[in-house]
Amino acid sequence: MNNDKKIGVYVCHCGTNISHTVAVDEVVAHAKTLPDVEVAREYKYMCSEPGQELIKKDISEQGLNRVVVASCSPLMHEGTFRKTCESAGLNRFLFQMANIREHCSWVHNDKADATKKAKHLVGAAVGRVGFHKPMELREAPVRPETLVVGAGIAGIEAALRIADSGKTVYLVEKEPSIGGHMAQFDKTFPTLDCAACILTPKMGMVAQHPNIKLFSYSEVEAVSGYVGNFKVKVRRKARYVNEKKCTGCGECTSVCPVQTRSQFEENLSFRKAIYRSFPQAVPNTFLIDKKGRAPCRAACPAGVHTQGYIALIADKKYTEAAELLRKDMPLPSVCGRVCYHPCEDKCERANLDDSIAICALKRFVADWALNQKIEVKPLPVIKKEKVAVVGSGPAGLACANELIRRGYCVDVFEAAEKAGGMLRYGIPAYRLPEEVLDKELAYLQNIGIGIHTNQKVASVESLKSKGYSAVFLSLGAQGGMQLKISGDTSRGVIDALEFLRSVKSGSLKQCKGTVVIIGGGNSAMDAARTALRLGAKEVKVIYRRSRAEMPAHDLEIEEAVKEGVTFEYLAAPTKIVSKDGQVRSLICQRMKLGEPDASGRRKPIAIEGTEFETPAEMMVTAIGQVPLLEKMAPSLKMTPSGWIETDPITLETTEQGVFAGGDVVTGPSTVVDAFAAGKRAAESIDRYLAGSDMRLGRDQLPSVAGAPDISKTPLAKRAEPARLDDATSKASFAEVISTLTEAQAITEAKRCLACGVCSECLECLMKCEAAAIDHNQLDEIVEVNVGTVVIATGFESFNARKMARYGYGKLKNVLTALEFERLSHASGPTGGEILTVDGKTPQSVAIIHCVGSRDENHQLSCSRVCCMYSLKFAHLVKEKTGAEVYNLYIDMRTPGKGYEEFYRRLLSEDVHFIRGKCSEITDLAETPKEKGKLFVHCEDTLLGVKRRIPVDMVILATALKASSTAPEIAKQFSLSCVQDGFFLEKHPKLAPVEVATDGIYLAGACQGPKDIPDSVAQGAAAAACALSLMDRGKVIIEPITSHIDAKLCSGCQVCVQSCPYEAIVYRAEENRSEVIEELCKGCGTCVAGCPSGAANQNHFERNQIYAELEGVLKRHTAKIGVKQSSGFGSDQKGKQTQPTYQDQAL
Amino acid sequence: MNPAESAAICQEFLDSVYTIPHGEKIKECIQCGTCSASCPSSAAMEYGPREIIASLRAGMLDKVLSSNTVWLCVSCYSCTVRCPAAIPFTDVMYELKRIQTEKKVSKDTGPTVMAKSFVAVVDKYGRNHETELLRKYFFQTNPFDGIRNIPLALRLIYRKRFHLRPRKIKGLTALKKMMSAIDNHRKEQP
Repeated sequence: MNNDKKIGVYVCHCGTNISHTVAVDEVVAHAKTLPDVEVAREYKYMCSEPGQELIKKDISEQGLNRVVVASCSPLMHEGTFRKTCESAGLNRFLFQMANIREHCSWVHNDKADATKKAKHLVGAAVGRVGFHKPMELREAPVRPETLVVGAGIAGIEAALRIADSGKTVYLVEKEPSIGGHMAQFDKTFPTLDCAACILTPKMGMVAQHPNIKLFSYSEVEAVSGYVGNFKVKVRRKARYVNEKKCTGCGECTSVCPVQTRSQFEENLSFRKAIYRSFPQAVPNTFLIDKKGRAPCRAACPAGVHTQGYIALIADKKYTEAAELLRKDMPLPSVCGRVCYHPCEDKCERANLDDSIAICALKRFVADWALNQKIEVKPLPVIKKEKVAVVGSGPAGLACANELIRRGYCVDVFEAAEKAGGMLRYGIPAYRLPEEVLDKELAYLQNIGIGIHTNQKVASVESLKSKGYSAVFLSLGAQGGMQLKISGDTSRGVIDALEFLRSVKSGSLKQCKGTVVIIGGGNSAMDAARTALRLGAKEVKVIYRRSRAEMPAHDLEIEEAVKEGVTFEYLAAPTKIVSKDGQVRSLICQRMKLGEPDASGRRKPIAIEGTEFETPAEMMVTAIGQVPLLEKMAPSLKMTPSGWIETDPITLETTEQGVFAGGDVVTGPSTVVDAFAAGKRAAESIDRYLAGSDMRLGRDQLPSVAGAPDISKTPLAKRAEPARLDDATSKASFAEVISTLTEAQAITEAKRCLACGVCSECLECLMKCEAAAIDHNQLDEIVEVNVGTVVIATGFESFNARKMARYGYGKLKNVLTALEFERLSHASGPTGGEILTVDGKTPQSVAIIHCVGSRDENHQLSCSRVCCMYSLKFAHLVKEKTGAEVYNLYIDMRTPGKGYEEFYRRLLSEDVHFIRGKCSEITDLAETPKEKGKLFVHCEDTLLGVKRRIPVDMVILATALKASSTAPEIAKQFSLSCVQDGFFLEKHPKLAPVEVATDGIYLAGACQGPKDIPDSVAQGAAAAACALSLMDRGKVIIEPITSHIDAKLCSGCQVCVQSCPYEAIVYRAEENRSEVIEELCKGCGTCVAGCPSGAANQNHFERNQIYAELEGVLKRHTAKIGVKQSSGFGSDQKGKQTQPTYQDQAL
Repeated sequence: MNPAESAAICQEFLDSVYTIPHGEKIKECIQCGTCSASCPSSAAMEYGPREIIASLRAGMLDKVLSSNTVWLCVSCYSCTVRCPAAIPFTDVMYELKRIQTEKKVSKDTGPTVMAKSFVAVVDKYGRNHETELLRKYFFQTNPFDGIRNIPLALRLIYRKRFHLRPRKIKGLTALKKMMSAIDNHRKEQP
């Protein structure tokens, strides 16, 4: 077999590209010494026609059966020489290329070293080619669909060209509208025709084209597959507006209360949270800007639309705000008084000055609504099932409120005389006046909730027999916990709940002497403050831990302290001393804090011998609450402490159709937690009655909006409601804190930073006649299969803030190029008038070229378009304002058709051209007259004079930089990026729109800064490339695939897991893996991973690789004539030079 | 100076600039003028930083060397920080000062006298001694100016801003050794 090999070696000079650094004759002479080499030749250009003929001739005349060409990179000419071999009757794979240009002559200076390396490379190729096997090419079909990523002008052009040929195009655009940067431009250079006039017709064509499937507001999520058959996952971001239903009427924007800066207008003007980028947007569909759930709403246990009602208050839409609140909770006026507002703790505004008074705003708008004399009509009942709620506390009412709004008939049963539960009997009037509660309950009755008082429900069964399909138990925790020490049955010892209830009902009107309160919770604070109001001389709170562990809310403790309640911490009662059955004093023991207990608080430990006595005429115990329950159903499971057991997500009890929530499940908690439980139960009941899954999607937390930009927000004081002074407040049960005034409320509401942007006030939902709005829309993943891909992801504008010396973002009237485009645009923020921030017409304008470009500190490359658009700006300013215009340039670059003519035109328009880069822009006036001006400093380099030019406006010609999404896209589509971040094309001259990966093409500014004509040309070029491939309908694929030796395979499946193309399957019956050749891309991962050496790859087989390695590492004896140097492995005996890679390897 | 001499000075200067880190960037100057426009003293300079590079390219560095330019640099580094070609121009300016002093191309003017006097005083005591520095300076430039300033000097002495007797640093001998070693090292360099 060995004797059959006849190898021909051909060494190319590549003009002087190779021969300048490599002694070609020596390489040829060396090749001749290698085994099996039949012939070795050199030639000036091997790739030329005569060069190829040389090879063909040798194959036919000398019977060569292997060929090696040592020349350039295989990327360049491997295909060429393979075809040469094939045309001479030799299989194309019996050829090997040695790269002695890119890997040798171009990267080395020393001729001797380079020659030596070339010999090694040739040796390697000769060694390898001997083991090559003949193989046949494969074909794969190309799908006739294209994916175009990016719908700027380049992407639009490519999409239209391909679609016109009858092929399907999927056009993906990350922004809500197509059009890209061009849609923002005013005029276009050098012809000055309006950008919109030439772009919008094309955008319209895209919208109407039957072959274009437009995915706007979408991004590519993942890409797999290969040329001819790419599988692409596209994420269609939720617009919250149904694209098919939206008619683009814009009515929704009229009711949206949220204003935010418009990105399309470069933040120069405002838009609503529901918006369309610009009137000619394609698709003509609105979308809602949601940054996530506002942190305040996320913090609210009941998920109240806080940002929504705040936005509506700011917009003076009180009716709508109140309605939004009432949908969320049954008793907003009550909640506005008693809630501990966890929302305010999470308010982002606290990072700036002070959190928004969210709770006070709720109270304002709820009170406002209660005072309106509007007839309330019952809500329609549309469901046939009836639901019973047992207990009319906050949890029960929340459940009833939620269910009636879903169309159920709801009846609330209350054992007491009046409804309201703990709100009525547990909260003192100075915090919550009873008439507020009554008004709110009246409202709930008016909307149709049946509230039946004095009706004690004995069992669930009795309700079911009355036709209720579901029952919600919200019985509260009505019993006070007993102190259980000696003397606790004395007269004058009373439980806090009982105490408050008696005061409310009027049976207790007076307190005398010293009242001691035992406990540190909210009830203790309520009892203490109530006792003060009843005339107690002294009120003392005794608590066994310290202030830090007190469960009462800080606000309550502070109020109590203000009113004169005294506190005795770290003390616990051990005995009550009574005389004639009436309490006289209390013996307490000092405590110290030990290790944290189950509740996380430090456990109090009694200190022996520290007893002390406190006189007390009355003693109120507030040490905890327990449910007062009889078993309402046979299978209802209770916890050992007597609470009802429920499922934490659905609030279902162990009894079917019976749900429970509020204090009866959790133990005493806050009003808003009770509301949350009621709403949660209502959701479960709705699902239970509809027969759907009660758990689906309920344990997922919504995404919370991040911190908003507060850099430009001015400080503003938080609104504080008026309050009674301490002396007056403790003398009566009058409400201590009042409601905000209307003026206060509006100012306060306007402080809101709108963290989520969309406030979810749901006004748009009600306004939209097409019913297109869906606030619960989710992102959708669409999968498409395409044969080719065009990448046209465009550029980004340089962030001018990075050049601090130009003052952008700090100095007024310093604009970026895109800002000026919008300012000058007829439908821009000023309607096309060029005005300063103060609304004046500028008398002088400076345009600074090369901002961020041609700068080692930012971007080295020239952005190509800035000189031309700066000329355009100069013209527009001159035309519209007649101002003096100064163009500060480094070099004028006007290469393009009609461009130099445009420059000449501007010169004739008396625009000042100053050759010199602006060093800085300041607002430092030297005389009073100069005040308000900007000063542009530069050196007029043609004069050698420093200049300081006073102007009214400065436009920064910002560089075009690679899109910040470029690295991600590069990763997805296996593209390479150049240093500036733009995508690398296959060849800068000969393949400007192709990339190293077949079937993927580039168009427009994603490949490098370019203007509109060039972008359009590239779009069309990319389309032509994609079409030629799709029209051919097939691609040739090299048979370089892997294969698994069935005899060696142990069935470990390492290869199956490691294959990125899912091309390997495991055959369980034979316990071995198998490669599906059609899917294999020949990456070699399985070969590297296979522990038993069963996986092998065609053309990269072990013997071939070893032969190549041997060739490269073989020690050659030095040839005469070339000076030896020490750099690249010296063979001189005796004189040991530095170790080289050969020495180390062998 | 004849063209050949002038070219030789340019080459010598360039060679020394290349020894500065990133000194070779001087070749990439795009003549935008950011340096001159940013320079707080360029208005008083006969040649601004940009013009120095232009002169160098034209082989006319001798004009710059015989001007006041280099002595007006206050080492604020604005040119270096802002240069879009990343040329460390302030460091280049130091090379110019050195070459001007060594070649004695220009006759001594105020700034050169001040710089040389300063170095001489620091060499002597290891730190500045204002009284001696100004005595040297005025003596070599305008003694009458010096006399006119005596009242100011007295006030400064009274306020202990000036000292009649020089104060030396610790280890002055070691510093002198170091300085002479540096000098010798430079002389040995081709």
